Amino acid sequence: MLHSQIHRKTLANGIVAIAIGNPSTDIMAARFFSRGGSRYDPTPGTGNLMASAITKGTANLSSMEIAERAESVGASLGTDVTSDYFLANLKTVSSDFGEMLALTSEILREPSFPAAEVELEKRLTLQSIRSQREQPFSVAFSELRSAMYGQHPYALSTLGTEDDVATLVPQDLHRYHRAYLRPDNLIVTLVGCIEPDRAIALLEETFGDWEASGLPTDLPPLPAPNTEPRRVGLAQDTQQSIVMLGYSAPSVLAPAHPDEPDEYAALKLLNTYLGNGLSSRLFVELREKRGLAYDVSAFFPTRVDLSQFVAYIGTAPANTEVALDGLQAELDRLVARPLDPEELETSKRKLLGQYALGKQTNAQIAQILGWYETIGLGTDFDERFPEAIEAVTVEAAQETARKYFSGTPYISVVGPEAAIEPVLGAAAVG
Amino acid sequence: MSDPFRTSTADPQLSSRLPANIYQRADGLTLIHQEIEAVPVVVTDIWVDAGARHEYPEDSGLAHFLEHMIFKGTDRLSPGAFDCAIEGRGGATNAATSHDYAHFYITTADRDFEATLPDLCDLLLRAKIPDDEFELEREVVYEEIAQYRDNPDDCLFAATMASLYPASAYGRPVLGTRDRLESLTPETMRQFHRQYYQPHNMTVTIVGNVSFDRARDALERHCTDFRPPASYRDDRPVSAPPRQTQICRDILELPNLELARLNLAWHGPGVENLRDGYVLDAIAMILSGGRSSPLVRELREQRQWVQAIGSYFSLQQDSGLFSISAWLDATYLQNVEEAIVARLAELHDTAIAPAVLERAKRQLCNDFVFSTETPSQLAGLYGYYHTLDRADRAFDYPREIATISPEEITTVARRYLATDAYTATIAICEPAT
Repeated sequence: MLHSQIHRKTLANGIVAIAIGNPSTDIMAARFFSRGGSRYDPTPGTGNLMASAITKGTANLSSMEIAERAESVGASLGTDVTSDYFLANLKTVSSDFGEMLALTSEILREPSFPAAEVELEKRLTLQSIRSQREQPFSVAFSELRSAMYGQHPYALSTLGTEDDVATLVPQDLHRYHRAYLRPDNLIVTLVGCIEPDRAIALLEETFGDWEASGLPTDLPPLPAPNTEPRRVGLAQDTQQSIVMLGYSAPSVLAPAHPDEPDEYAALKLLNTYLGNGLSSRLFVELREKRGLAYDVSAFFPTRVDLSQFVAYIGTAPANTEVALDGLQAELDRLVARPLDPEELETSKRKLLGQYALGKQTNAQIAQILGWYETIGLGTDFDERFPEAIEAVTVEAAQETARKYFSGTPYISVVGPEAAIEPVLGAAAVG
Repeated sequence: MSDPFRTSTADPQLSSRLPANIYQRADGLTLIHQEIEAVPVVVTDIWVDAGARHEYPEDSGLAHFLEHMIFKGTDRLSPGAFDCAIEGRGGATNAATSHDYAHFYITTADRDFEATLPDLCDLLLRAKIPDDEFELEREVVYEEIAQYRDNPDDCLFAATMASLYPASAYGRPVLGTRDRLESLTPETMRQFHRQYYQPHNMTVTIVGNVSFDRARDALERHCTDFRPPASYRDDRPVSAPPRQTQICRDILELPNLELARLNLAWHGPGVENLRDGYVLDAIAMILSGGRSSPLVRELREQRQWVQAIGSYFSLQQDSGLFSISAWLDATYLQNVEEAIVARLAELHDTAIAPAVLERAKRQLCNDFVFSTETPSQLAGLYGYYHTLDRADRAFDYPREIATISPEEITTVARRYLATDAYTATIAICEPAT
């Protein structure tokens, strides 16, 4: 439905503009994506630091002047980097939109990365990296991610590591900015009360004279993870143990063969079946029937490169092994037997219903369409995805489960030493 | 038969401000309805004045535990059947409990409205609270508490509330404690349920692509036959918190802490004085709403003492709470506390510049627009305001904010935010053993 409402224009400098009108509220949302993301960080953490520092000075404006301009009209303007793309997001009431587009243009085109501001953001980033150790879930996930991804950049959080971030200087940010933030690598989505052609014209007025660099826009392939499943973990003085089970899973861009199952769609459905909502399999079996956890679920993120399928649970330290066995039994069950057709249909309705509910606000629509375009799926993936989900059969789901969940999983545990030792073996407790 | 619903807003000026309609049934149940044709969904959000503030101290955690048990079914619905019915249709459901309310919501496709409402009503009106499910679910709540205790910010918040509201339900954690929950019985929970899950305590908000007639008819058919009220115990009002007369400082030592926390808190008004609450919202925005605000500019950007700093006013029925929180290196705890107090003193002594006030107002009004975009946001807003006070107040917000004057900022800052009487809660890393 969204796809038919899209107004699309490629500006002369290469910016792809995608606009949708929504007259029901006085809100304009815009998102600016550049391809790349932290997976292309020359030094881990470069993209994130660039995103933090980019709003802190331009050729003409100081950090405070930028903040005052956005805050004086009550606009929200933020920047971020994920593993797969850089993002600036803007939200305003309609009357301020043009002025805020001009400010965003100045920030994205001519950041000055003042040395003092870069130093400040660097110090704050180092603190954030350390703060991740305060949450047992993020410690367990960080251990799992690094075991699974080895040499691949997905092994690290977008923040980078303390050692790497400490070496970054403004010159690194300028270089990264020049390489990735350029009109011929930019996708802009504009959603809201301003009529789409008018919104695109406003974009053209503010971004149209940004000259393309002419550099190639290819993104080179990344190193394979080259890892073997193993058990990792960290002893911490916590109330709960966190247990995670991880399996390598395909990229959303993995080529699909006509006579093979769409593995991405099948794994999205298996993830929904296991981990989505109060009626999901893990919730019912491990929480409702056995009282082992408050939080038990699964996730399978959509990734440009190799993804991961993770099931996790937070449980009482005394139940660490029982909970691990419980998670494992549910993954094994998907390999051993096909889902009932009714289970599959329920999972489809659940997944598609929630997919639709995730596109309610202007910002959500701007995010999903821009993201699809940026990672190479195209905005029509918004229509192809539900079709692919509908087409998954019980056979395809089981075949995919067999392919990905038959082997030994990667396991990560965090909790009190005595609780995690039986899982890891005494020598491995960090 | 006469229409059991009547419009409760007698003043047409008042009701016209709200894009929704408020109706009250003869038995006291309130329906707030807004039709939005542009979206193919309906959100039903049922708010119950059955929060933790009604608990006796020895039953701490009861209201929240009951929220879990509501989903364990009725004579007609087996445990989990409701979740399957909603989610199997592609809908979503969940619930939340605070000191002042419990609420339960479903989002479904518009065509599923009539099919799903009966089950939600059945759960809330006729929860069975089976003994064996009670025992099992208690383990789940213990895990919820354990997870909360592994989060330093949650621990700090609990300590602030305990210090600010001694001997009041607001001072006890909504989740309760293991000790209290261990001695709780299903029978006590059933009594609590039957006392508070009654029509006069309920606000049903229905927002989305459904007409008023459909909403009312479904409610008339299915939100009736309440259990006869039981007495959990004699209800009693929340005792007023003691006046803050000095600086009260608590220090928590937590394991695995990388950054220290500093939280300064003051009692604010309850719903009896919403106007002062709005002014405190503006003060929070003036103090720390963005990089150009004084606290962020001075402490994060210039002196570089904090990782982050923020402030907010949290409205509660009987006594709201204003707090300023900073994440920082422990070395700067004292400097930051002094700097915050100095900023407050400035608010007491110097009139706020009109431009600064205008900026804060614009930020607040835009935030209000941004937070009323979806049916679920609207349903939540109406239900929340009506449970604490009156739903039409929700849409007074932009107008109230617009009329705040510099003098009012000074008056309200002096009234609530004393520089020599507040509660400071500090978290530092526990020394290595």
